Amino acid sequence: MATSTVREASVEGPHHVEGVVDVDGVSVRYVDSGPRDEAAEDGTARPPIVLVHGTGGSIERDYGFLLPLLASRQRVVALDFARPEPPSDRLTLGHLERQVVAACEAVLPGRSVTLVGYSLGAVVATAVAAHRPDLADRLVTVAGWARTDTQQKLRNGVWRRLRTENSAALPSYMAFCALGGPFLAQATLEQLAPLLQHGTLDEFLDLQMALNESIDITDLLGRVRATTLVIGCAHDQMVPVRHSKALFGAIPDARYTEISSGHAVVFERPAQLVQIIDRFNADPDRHPAGSLIPEARV
Amino acid sequence: MNPTSDTLTHLPPPEHADVLVIGTGFAGLGTAARLKRRGTHSFVVLERADDVGGTWRDNTYPGAACDVPSHLYSFSFRPNPDWSRLFARGPEIHRYLRDTARDEGLLPHIRFGAEVTQARWDTVTRHWVVTTARGVFTGRFLVTGTGHLSDHSLPDIPGLAGFDGPVFHSARWDHGTPLAGKRVAVVGSGASAVQIVPEVAEAAAEVVVFQRSAPYVVPRPDRAYTDTEKRVFRRDPEAVPAHRAEIFWYLEAGYAARRAAPHQLAEAKAAARAHLERQVADPELRAALTPDYELGCKRVLISDTYYPALTRDHVRLEPSALAQLEPGTAVAASGARHAVDVVVLCTGFETAEPPYAHLVHDGAGTSLAEHWAQGMEAYASTTVAGFPNLFLVNGPNTGLGHNSIVHVIEAQVTYVLGALDWSRAHGDHDVEVTPAAQRRYTGELARRGADTVWHSRGCESWYLDPRSGRLTLIWPDFADEFRHRNGTFDPPAYRAPTLTPAPVTP
Repeated sequence: MATSTVREASVEGPHHVEGVVDVDGVSVRYVDSGPRDEAAEDGTARPPIVLVHGTGGSIERDYGFLLPLLASRQRVVALDFARPEPPSDRLTLGHLERQVVAACEAVLPGRSVTLVGYSLGAVVATAVAAHRPDLADRLVTVAGWARTDTQQKLRNGVWRRLRTENSAALPSYMAFCALGGPFLAQATLEQLAPLLQHGTLDEFLDLQMALNESIDITDLLGRVRATTLVIGCAHDQMVPVRHSKALFGAIPDARYTEISSGHAVVFERPAQLVQIIDRFNADPDRHPAGSLIPEARV
Repeated sequence: MNPTSDTLTHLPPPEHADVLVIGTGFAGLGTAARLKRRGTHSFVVLERADDVGGTWRDNTYPGAACDVPSHLYSFSFRPNPDWSRLFARGPEIHRYLRDTARDEGLLPHIRFGAEVTQARWDTVTRHWVVTTARGVFTGRFLVTGTGHLSDHSLPDIPGLAGFDGPVFHSARWDHGTPLAGKRVAVVGSGASAVQIVPEVAEAAAEVVVFQRSAPYVVPRPDRAYTDTEKRVFRRDPEAVPAHRAEIFWYLEAGYAARRAAPHQLAEAKAAARAHLERQVADPELRAALTPDYELGCKRVLISDTYYPALTRDHVRLEPSALAQLEPGTAVAASGARHAVDVVVLCTGFETAEPPYAHLVHDGAGTSLAEHWAQGMEAYASTTVAGFPNLFLVNGPNTGLGHNSIVHVIEAQVTYVLGALDWSRAHGDHDVEVTPAAQRRYTGELARRGADTVWHSRGCESWYLDPRSGRLTLIWPDFADEFRHRNGTFDPPAYRAPTLTPAPVTP
């Protein structure tokens, strides 16, 4: 078990705290935002949400929209993954799990939370839910997966090759993979320009990409006790919906829904995603386990 | 009401229907179409004008167009594959509503020229009695679809009577007044004005725009649909819903800025600022066009032609209100005097105190307006305690700053139909919301709206009630949250149909 302490915390506003948790010798930055009271203005109680970002992401990059909007109705804690120290050649799922657990135990001691993970973060959140059922009684996976398959390995291989060659094509390739067809159909290259220079390429990202290549948490899924919502992205080329369907099939208390976006759902359809998560957190049993919840038509 | 026997003989006998609907805009026609489609034929729609279309019938000013893309600004149950552009112009939207009335079989139900003069709940017959310019109508249920932008607001301008040229409101455009070669004053700089100014500037010799406060203006990504796209919309039944969804969720993200999420608000302001800097080079004009309040407090306007029109040689921006009129002259609050021949009032609509509220009375004869002395309120934004079987569609707390009102209207219509079914299933029990439920809901919205830009410092807008400062017009949340919260009739908020015996507990 990770030993964790809150090292520092600064109050940014009435309901917004930033701090750092020490775990395994590294400092993990977190944000703690939103009402401390579980009763929202509509009278429903929502447990705190813990947001876990994806590969190469950060609180701001993956949850820049979701965090302030979710925090208008419930307490939200989000953390930035940190590269383990001392530097090693390998990043394991265990490293990232311990960082999530540390943030939960330090910021929300004794509380059961709703874990929300996106992409690699969904893998981490699912593993935490399996290993620590006391910590999370609700789980939301967004574009998550259980075992890396051939399509993902192919993509990962191209990525690694471009990265090794320091290719100028890498940002475009990442956008090409991340964004959904319907979204791209409405966008121009000019509009995408800022996105194409967004990514930070560093060794920690390389470690996460290496981890992505060998994910296999299939043995853990049956142990997830949390009330779970699995969200697949219909036009996802990086983690196609069959992966979310597999999570839906394996996690006992799971319900499933889809969003018509690419993998970059936090960017393409943040308003839809935030409302789905908020409603699940207010009433997780609204749809019984096994439900395929159709995407709402507007 | 004390009609003489003489007027009585001239009035037809009361016409009765299960449901009375007021108005033939999106709210009224949407309600009627859904009633008709589900096989409810006992309804009458009261319309004061001689044509359907609401706002889109009345606002015939040059350049009138919608600020919400048309595929979304139309009924989900009546997709129109033939929208000519992303943002259709007024006449095309009006045509859509006329087609809706005809094709949905609503025309036989509509009574034109039936301006409502009074509606009251009869506690004896348990019916609504609605008096109109063409007779009395009775119905078990009353649905108002009177809209936010139906009664235009005329400011009290000193010297108006003495002004010697034409003066008219944008929503009552005087097409008989040619503007070619004239000096025209446009009073106001809101949604109507930014559409009107570029058009008027084409014809008029001189234009002066009186601006009390500068609006935020962002680009209008308009374009025509190709014939191929239109045919895909016709041939593939999934194409329109998919297109609607893309637009809807794109717009829906705009709520983050209204909630004052710092990053999203900064991004929205940067987009507006970049638009201004791209289109206006003159630093003085730029400064005058820079808003001094938070983005989203008032409606964010969408135009690519407004700023360029203001940079034309014969167009001037007067950065103050119109103070008074003198013959041949419009005097600004700044003291500046502008020689003008025609005055166009783009001064908006009666929103905080809608005129219909004075016409609708409860069983004791108290009007909605009196109930609403501190501002409009309705449970689920639809029903009012003390007013049984009354439903307000597009009434209090339904307005959106970031998405399509038709989405809200459709959710409300579904709610109303659910209420009708519930009433029927319980022996025609009256639908009457409890005061407690209404208080709870109103309090919830007040708390929800507290941290939004509508309550930001220095924000004064038509979304707020001037008497109480309450946010009475705006729905202070995501548009889809409206449907989630208010799209399904919820019996617990209403007076129970029968006394249920207390459960026996061992």
